[in-house]
Amino acid sequence: MQQHTTVIDKAAMALSGGLMLLGVVVLGIVEILAGKPYSAAPLTNDAGEIIATPMIDPTLRTGLVLAGILVLALYGLYKLVVPMENEATTAQQEITAD
Amino acid sequence: MSYQAANPLADEFELELGGAWTAYWLAFLRVVTGWWFFHAGVTKLIEDGLAYTYGPAYLRQMTGTALGPIPVLMGEHLGWLIQAMVPLGETLIGLGLMVGALVRLASVFGVFFMSLFWIGNAEFGHGLVNSDFMGLLLFMTMIVLATGRYYGLDAIIEKTKLVKRHPKLRYLLG
Repeated sequence: MQQHTTVIDKAAMALSGGLMLLGVVVLGIVEILAGKPYSAAPLTNDAGEIIATPMIDPTLRTGLVLAGILVLALYGLYKLVVPMENEATTAQQEITAD
Repeated sequence: MSYQAANPLADEFELELGGAWTAYWLAFLRVVTGWWFFHAGVTKLIEDGLAYTYGPAYLRQMTGTALGPIPVLMGEHLGWLIQAMVPLGETLIGLGLMVGALVRLASVFGVFFMSLFWIGNAEFGHGLVNSDFMGLLLFMTMIVLATGRYYGLDAIIEKTKLVKRHPKLRYLLG
């Protein structure tokens, strides 16, 4: 089946994918390069004291991922609101027939 | 030889969305994801009924997250609703996925639940990608691939006159 993607489709894919990959992968690489802790949680010693904190606040990283999900949610709502492709085609054909 | 950006495996493996192995695997993944939530919900219903008090308490401790004050406000002002909706919602989401009915709609709520679990648990000791996040991605996969159409009731529901008259319902089914 041939699928037709519009500018909106491509923008939704690029923006949501970009935001989510930025939060997870890109800033994850930055976190590794910044040294310990390599993950998004503080590093503690045996006594439970924090000895190193993440360079990038996990709130920022999770926020970017949530923003990506929000873009997809808005795209879903947009698809619910705009006429479907075959509906539009049918309407156009009706106009032509008149 | 043509290159298909949408399905680069088409020439070698025939991994089509309508193919037998794809259908088998997507249906399996859907049922297991559904069972995961159904089990979580129904055990809460058995233990606490519609008064799951940990729900609002969990939200109230979600301070300083990317969601700002939203979870805390929900926990403080919608406690009665959350006590009922956590066990009921998890059970219904799980049931929907297992039988393959209203899968996309159920999965939207699944994404909502998993976002709160992922952010609220904040167990990022092994990185941002933890089991909660993978669960969130599973629900998003259900939406993107419309897995209810594979051995699910949505495949039948989508053939009804109602859905044919209102094709946009397929955005909630499938």
